[in-house]
Amino acid sequence: MPHLEIHDLTVSYEKDKPALARFSLQIEQGELLSLLGPSGCGKTTTLRSVAGFIQADAGKIVINSRDCTNLPPNHRDIGLVFQSYALFPHLTVFHNVAFGLRMRRIPKAEVQSRVSNALKMVGLEAFADRRPAQLSGGQQQRVALARATVIEPQVLLLDEPLSNLDARLRVDMRQEIRRLQQQLGITTLYVTHDQVEAMSISDRVVVMNQGEIEQIGAPESIFAAPETAFVADFMGFDNHVRAAVVSARAEKLTVNWGGAPIELRWRSKFGSPKPGANADVFFRADNASLSAGAEASGLAGRVILHTFHGNEVRYLVETEVGEFSVMQDSAGERFENGAAVTLRPQTQKWIAIIEDEGSKA
Amino acid sequence: MIRRPNQRRTLLLLVAPAFIFVFVFFVLPLIFLLSQSVLPEDGGFTLTGYVDFFQSRVSRIVYLRTLKLGLIVTGISVVMSYPAAFVLARMPARRRSFLMSLVILPLMTNAVARTFAWLIILGRRGMINQTLLSLELVEQPVRFIFTETAIVLGLTQLFLPLMVLPLVSAMENIPDDVLEAARSLGANRLTTFARIVVPLSSDGLVLGATLVFTGSVTAFVTPAILGGSRLLLMSTLLRQKAVILFDQHAAAVVAVVMIATTLAVNLLLRVGRVRQA
Amino acid sequence: MVSRWMYASLVVLYIFLLGPFIIIFMASFGANATMAFPPQGFTLDWFANVFETSQFIDSFWISLRLALLSTIVSLIMGMPVAYALTRFQFAASGFVETVFSAPILVPGLVIGFAMLNFFVLLGDMHVMTGLFIGHTAILFPYSVRVVSASLRNLDPYVEDAAVSLGANRLRGFLLVVLPNMRAGIAAAFVLGFITSFNNVPVSLFLSGPGVTTLPVSMLSYLEYYFDPTIAAVSTLLVIFTVVLVQTAERALGLSQFV
Repeated sequence: MPHLEIHDLTVSYEKDKPALARFSLQIEQGELLSLLGPSGCGKTTTLRSVAGFIQADAGKIVINSRDCTNLPPNHRDIGLVFQSYALFPHLTVFHNVAFGLRMRRIPKAEVQSRVSNALKMVGLEAFADRRPAQLSGGQQQRVALARATVIEPQVLLLDEPLSNLDARLRVDMRQEIRRLQQQLGITTLYVTHDQVEAMSISDRVVVMNQGEIEQIGAPESIFAAPETAFVADFMGFDNHVRAAVVSARAEKLTVNWGGAPIELRWRSKFGSPKPGANADVFFRADNASLSAGAEASGLAGRVILHTFHGNEVRYLVETEVGEFSVMQDSAGERFENGAAVTLRPQTQKWIAIIEDEGSKA
Repeated sequence: MIRRPNQRRTLLLLVAPAFIFVFVFFVLPLIFLLSQSVLPEDGGFTLTGYVDFFQSRVSRIVYLRTLKLGLIVTGISVVMSYPAAFVLARMPARRRSFLMSLVILPLMTNAVARTFAWLIILGRRGMINQTLLSLELVEQPVRFIFTETAIVLGLTQLFLPLMVLPLVSAMENIPDDVLEAARSLGANRLTTFARIVVPLSSDGLVLGATLVFTGSVTAFVTPAILGGSRLLLMSTLLRQKAVILFDQHAAAVVAVVMIATTLAVNLLLRVGRVRQA
Repeated sequence: MVSRWMYASLVVLYIFLLGPFIIIFMASFGANATMAFPPQGFTLDWFANVFETSQFIDSFWISLRLALLSTIVSLIMGMPVAYALTRFQFAASGFVETVFSAPILVPGLVIGFAMLNFFVLLGDMHVMTGLFIGHTAILFPYSVRVVSASLRNLDPYVEDAAVSLGANRLRGFLLVVLPNMRAGIAAAFVLGFITSFNNVPVSLFLSGPGVTTLPVSMLSYLEYYFDPTIAAVSTLLVIFTVVLVQTAERALGLSQFV
């Protein structure tokens, strides 16, 4: 039985332009699920509907088998971490964390011990008497986490919690949130626009676009096998090119790649495409290799730019099919600008997606 | 901003009391005033009040004098405030906040007290006349009170802070880097000031000018003390018509012309600012 | 960038702004009754005269009561408006903002004149009531704007945070928003108080026989007498405002709201 259920949720800010349309999702007990997507995709709307700050036009929200659809936020038993942290500026760290317990009329001694515990878990026991303004961004983030979890909510909701931190701190806090979440075994809904963050922290990821689910699954499967062009693009497939379909079989799709046929995994919204239809071919920069000179077995090209990234060098290669970005081990063979190279695909990691309805066989 | 559906009732509860107060006790009186200016007590709708106002030599002189003095005061304020505001804006924060509180101080003291000082300075036996007499530059005390100069001085002193404050806050927002960039590109101080500082502080200038001008053309205390009934401005004219001549119809016309003038200036400068942006 | 002549202009500005205060100060202690300059001798007679003139004492108390009452009422009604403007999105917000800033745009003398005529139309109204209504109306722009500014500095999500932690909306407001509005409310209060306390143009028409505010009674005193008593009153008022403003500035940074 799922711990958090969202059934057919519909929310519209403007008439006839729903931000969410019949959106459904189930989250298991103790699971961390991320809503991933660009701004305006409906992920924050979903989270705020679960929290109860947005009254849905239709649909149902069930937390731990209790229908919460018509409950105000303060009766839903949720913990919410805001993008801005939303710490109470006039209260000390201790009283910020204690706020939710006070609202629940927990006896003083218990408040004391639970707050101390929560602060210890986030490593802030020495900061109990500080005001939020006296803390760094990362520390404020920890206070927000402690404040949301100390009440032991049914569901923990995090709204872009790391977007105000700098890059290094973001990585640390990511791990810390995951650790805390697993320690407490708390069902968690996590909203982010950062795919790396979503990958690294989640049990499952939901990629959202324009109020709808594009794909849902384990981070690994979404990373390796996007089902739509939107997901492929969002998941960091650096290269995208149109190619003509030669033939389609259940397992492999054969497309024309600069005159030569290559076989790729494929996804289609409409079943088999007809020969000659357009397929969107996606591959990552590190899923192709370069060798010097023109060889018959690959695609001929020319290096037009190279940039050094430590362990790797990224080449921009111009071919008759298009320009591609290719990542090579910096210890291996190096190419100067203008060098003639052959680009060889690692086709087992490439993917072809058919989205154009006209291409249906 | 947070979107909250179902907010109508809350919103109404929050805004209604104050709104009703302002509507009944502020908007309605102004509508009544407007009606008074076109509906004399003994007749129907007429614009003769306005025609009379603009045909009368006296009131035309008063109106133009008011606008002229307003412009002069605004001009002097700009010239006096601009370089000083720049110095203030570039100061260390602590010293600046002390000096700024000295700028605010006059704003917080009533106009009667502040204008009174000019009587002591400009009076027949005041500071300036005593100095002139003792230096034997003049034989008779010069009459300063009840002159346009006196009114301009008084108004400038009164409204100068309203120019300094917006200018300083506009200039505070100009980063040092920008000025250094201009200098590094070969601009000298004056060019930097004219081409970088002035355009970037134009919002503050426009706001300050609006405040000073509208303040000057509507001020009452200063023209009442330093101009008296000999040198009328619009505000003292309004008072004269209403209290001494008991002509509420004519007074209402003067009042509406005053409102129209301030609104026109505000609108004009706002449009200018939008177009610039 | 800052050159010497700019500093000179700063000095000129301050002499011009503050010089008159020094002159008033000197005149209030001078012994000659005719306001000649420089003042001769030293006396506190003019101050004594202030306290013996019932016109000043009575109007001081009226001004004080009026300023307190109208500031408090304009705040009580203005705060919810500021809250609505900063925490809700609504179509009419621009209109509401304009309405509440309008009393600044209309000349005070015109407001006083229009109100007097309107009150006469309404029938018998106590002079104090008229003054109270006039002052409250002109203070709305200040209370709404200053409180709005302090609310804009507060993360709008702290209220949601309080609610998500189990507080209802009202408690969330009282426990989390209100304590953080304290400085803004205090600043609005000081600003409103001073604005009302110093106002002449609105009070001028609305004052009546026996009920006059201090600045208006100073003005009418000037019509009949020309002696340093007014200088003494002014000196007392300057001291009063300096203390008030400096305290407020220290505590709240008033200049950011003016």
